[in-house]
Amino acid sequence: MKKSVSTMLMVILLTILAACGNNGGNGANEGAASSAEAANTATESETTAAPEATSEEAVRLTIGSWRTEDKAAYDKIAAQFHEQNPTITVEFAPTKNTEYNTVLNTQLMTGEGPDIIHLRPYVAGKQVADSNFLVPLDGTPGLEQIPSELLIAATGSDGKVYGAPILKNASLILYNKQLFDKLGLTEPKTWDELIQTAEALKSNKIVPFAFGSKEGWILSLTHGAIGPVAYGGNDFVKQITTGQTNFTSQAFTDSVQLLKDLEPYYPDNYEGIGMDDMRNLFVTEQAGMMIMGDWEIAVMRKMNPDLQIDAFPVPTKDGQASVSTWVDGSFAINVNSKHQEAAKKFIAFALTESFGTTLSNELVRQSTIPSVQSGDELIKKIASFSNDAAIATPYMFNVYFAAGNPSSKTAFETSVQGYLLGKLKVEDVGAEVQKSVDTWFKPLSQ
Amino acid sequence: MSHNAVNESVKGSGSRWQQVVIHLFPLPALVIYSVVIVYSMVAAFGYSFFSWKGLTRDAFVGLDNFVTLFTQEPYNETFWNALGHNAYYFALEMVVQNGIAFMLAYVLYTKVKGAEWFKSAIFLPRLLSVIVIGFLWKLILNPNTGVLNTFLKTIGLDSWAMSWLGDPDTALTSIIMVNNWFGVGFSLLIWLAGLQAIPAEIVEAARLEGVKGLKFIRMIVAPLIVPSFVIITVFSFIHAFEAFELVYAMQGSQGEPYMSTDTLATYFYRNAFGGTSGGDSVSIGLGSALAVIMFAIISVVSTVFMNVTRKYEVEL
Repeated sequence: MKKSVSTMLMVILLTILAACGNNGGNGANEGAASSAEAANTATESETTAAPEATSEEAVRLTIGSWRTEDKAAYDKIAAQFHEQNPTITVEFAPTKNTEYNTVLNTQLMTGEGPDIIHLRPYVAGKQVADSNFLVPLDGTPGLEQIPSELLIAATGSDGKVYGAPILKNASLILYNKQLFDKLGLTEPKTWDELIQTAEALKSNKIVPFAFGSKEGWILSLTHGAIGPVAYGGNDFVKQITTGQTNFTSQAFTDSVQLLKDLEPYYPDNYEGIGMDDMRNLFVTEQAGMMIMGDWEIAVMRKMNPDLQIDAFPVPTKDGQASVSTWVDGSFAINVNSKHQEAAKKFIAFALTESFGTTLSNELVRQSTIPSVQSGDELIKKIASFSNDAAIATPYMFNVYFAAGNPSSKTAFETSVQGYLLGKLKVEDVGAEVQKSVDTWFKPLSQ
Repeated sequence: MSHNAVNESVKGSGSRWQQVVIHLFPLPALVIYSVVIVYSMVAAFGYSFFSWKGLTRDAFVGLDNFVTLFTQEPYNETFWNALGHNAYYFALEMVVQNGIAFMLAYVLYTKVKGAEWFKSAIFLPRLLSVIVIGFLWKLILNPNTGVLNTFLKTIGLDSWAMSWLGDPDTALTSIIMVNNWFGVGFSLLIWLAGLQAIPAEIVEAARLEGVKGLKFIRMIVAPLIVPSFVIITVFSFIHAFEAFELVYAMQGSQGEPYMSTDTLATYFYRNAFGGTSGGDSVSIGLGSALAVIMFAIISVVSTVFMNVTRKYEVEL
C-alpha cells in the first residue's frame, strides 16, 4: 500500500514536470518564431490595428521606463496627451533603474511588455531592435527634425530607426559659482587656465575636482569629457570609426594620460570614492568643480537648494571649447502592443515642440528637439554648447564603442582603473581597448 | 468528513483514498517549486547549448558556449579570476567566520553567564537585509568619512587607514569580512547545536577521567561534532560559490575595482542581464553556461564532500 502511494506520487510529479517542460518548450519556440516573423507581424498588426483606432474605443497605453524619479513629469505629459486624444489614456509605469533591463527583456521574450518602451541608447537599445521586438518608426511625423547623429542611438543594424530620441546629455565641467566668485576665479578658457584654477582652489583647501575612480562608468564619462583636449574631438572620432587610426595611437594614449595629469586635484583616497561621495563633496561645497553630465544638476539642486551651480565647456590647450553629447533615451513601440495606432500617435506627440518644452522644463534636461528652448538658464547655456557643432563632440565610447562582450567601454573602464591604481601603464589602456574592439568592430565606410 | 479522515489517518488505519488525499497536500508547494526552481534550471541548461542573437534564441551550438568560456580570451581569464575569488571567499569564510563561531560557541557551551543574551546579540546582524548590511558597511568603510578610518586615525594608526573598497588588494577581503561578521551568528548556532548534542554521560565520563581543555576538544568534542562540521562546510561552500548579494550591494556587478571583486555570480549576472550600468549588451548563452557550471561545481563538490565525510561520523 505504501508503495502504491509513492508510485502514484511519482506519476503525479512526473506529469507536472512533463507539463512544465512542454509549456516551456512551446513558450520558447513561440518566442523564437514570433520574433523571427516580427517584421511581418509588425506590418500585419498595423493593418489589424487600424479599425480598432477608428472605432473610438478607449485605449490604455503603458510606458515602461527606468526613470522612476521622473514619474511626476510624465504624468503631467500624459494628462496633456489625454486632453488632445480623449480616447487614449497613458500610464507611465517605470521599473527600478538597475532592474529595468532584466524585467523588460523577460517580458519581451515572452511576448509581453509595455506598449511604449523607453529604450536605452546605443548598443542595449540596438539589441532590442535587432531582436525584432520593435516597430520601425521611419516616416513618423516629427522624426525628421531630430539630427542624424542623435538618431544613431535608436537605429537598428538594418538601418531603420526604431526609437524617437527624447532627451540628450552633455558632459562638461560643473562648478560652484559662489566659491568661484568668493575666490575671484573665472571660467577658464584654456587647459592651462583650468590647471591654474584647480591650483587656486587647492591652495584654499577646496577639493578642485569632485572625482573618484571606484565606479568604472565615472572614468569613461570623465574621459569622454576631457579626452577631446588631447585627441581633438570630431576629426579623431571620424578617423577612429572609419579605421584610419586606432586606440594604440599617441593621440588616444595622451587622452588617457590627462586623467592622471589631474590626479593632484582629486580628493584624498579618490580610488575609494564613488558617485555618492563625489556628489556629496560638490553639494556640501567641499569641492569646487565636477566633471559630470548635466542630468546631475537637478539632483544636486534638490540636495542643496542654495547651491549655485554653473557650467563651462572643457577648455582645450589652444583655447577651444569642448562638450561631449549623447542621447539619454528614446521612445519605441513594442511589436506585440495591441494598440499600435495609439502608440504611434503618442510617439508623434513626443516629437512635438510642446512635449519637448514641457519635458525639458519639468526634468531640467536638454530636449533632443533643436527648436526647444529650456526655461532653465543653465540648461539653456549648456544646450547652446551642445547644439554648437564646433564645440559638441559625441561621447565616443558610449556612442560607437559600447558593443562587444564584455563591451569595449567596459574594457576601457577596467583598464583605466588599473592605470590609475598603478597596475597598468598608460599605453596598456589603449592596447587593452584595441584588443576588445578588434573582436567585433568593423570600420564604418568613410 | 475531512475531520474523520485526519483522525483516522493519524491512527494509521485510513482507507487508501484518505492516504492519497493526505499525500496531495504538498502538491501546491511542489508545483511552485517545479515552476520556479526546476523549470528555470532545466531552461538555463537548455539555453546554454544555443547561440543567441541579442535576446532571441538562435542556432543549436552544442558545447560552444562552454568552450568559449574556458578557452577564449578574455572569457577564460575572467572565469578563472572569478573562480579564484570564490575559492578565496570559501577559505576565508571557513577559517575566520566558522573558526570564530566555533570559539564563541564553545565559550557559550561551557555556560558563561548570559549565554542566551550573547547568542542573540551575535545572531542579530543576520536579521538585517543583506542590502542594508552592505550599505551600512559601505559607510563604515568610506575612506574619508567612514567610522573605521576615523577610528584608526584617532588612535594613531594613520598608515592603516586606507581605501578599503577602492584598493584591489583589500576590496574583496573587506567584503568577505563583512560577510563573516554577518554570518558568524548562524555558524555559531550550528556549532552550538552540535556541542549540545554531545551526550551528557560522555562529558561526565571525560570529566571523571580528568580530560580537560584542548585535550577535551580534541578527543571528545571533535569526533562528535563532525555532523555540524559537515553542515557548516557545505553551507559555506554553497554560499561562497554563489556569492552575489553582498558583493553587489557593496561594489555592484562590474567586479570593481580592477576585477578584484568579481565572482562567478557577478560574471554570470553581467552576461545574463547586462550588468549594473544598464547600457551593456547581454549574452544569454554564456550566462546560461556559467549558471550550469556553477550548479555543477556546487552540486558535485557538496555531494562528494558529504559522502567522504560520512566515514568520519561517529555512531553513538
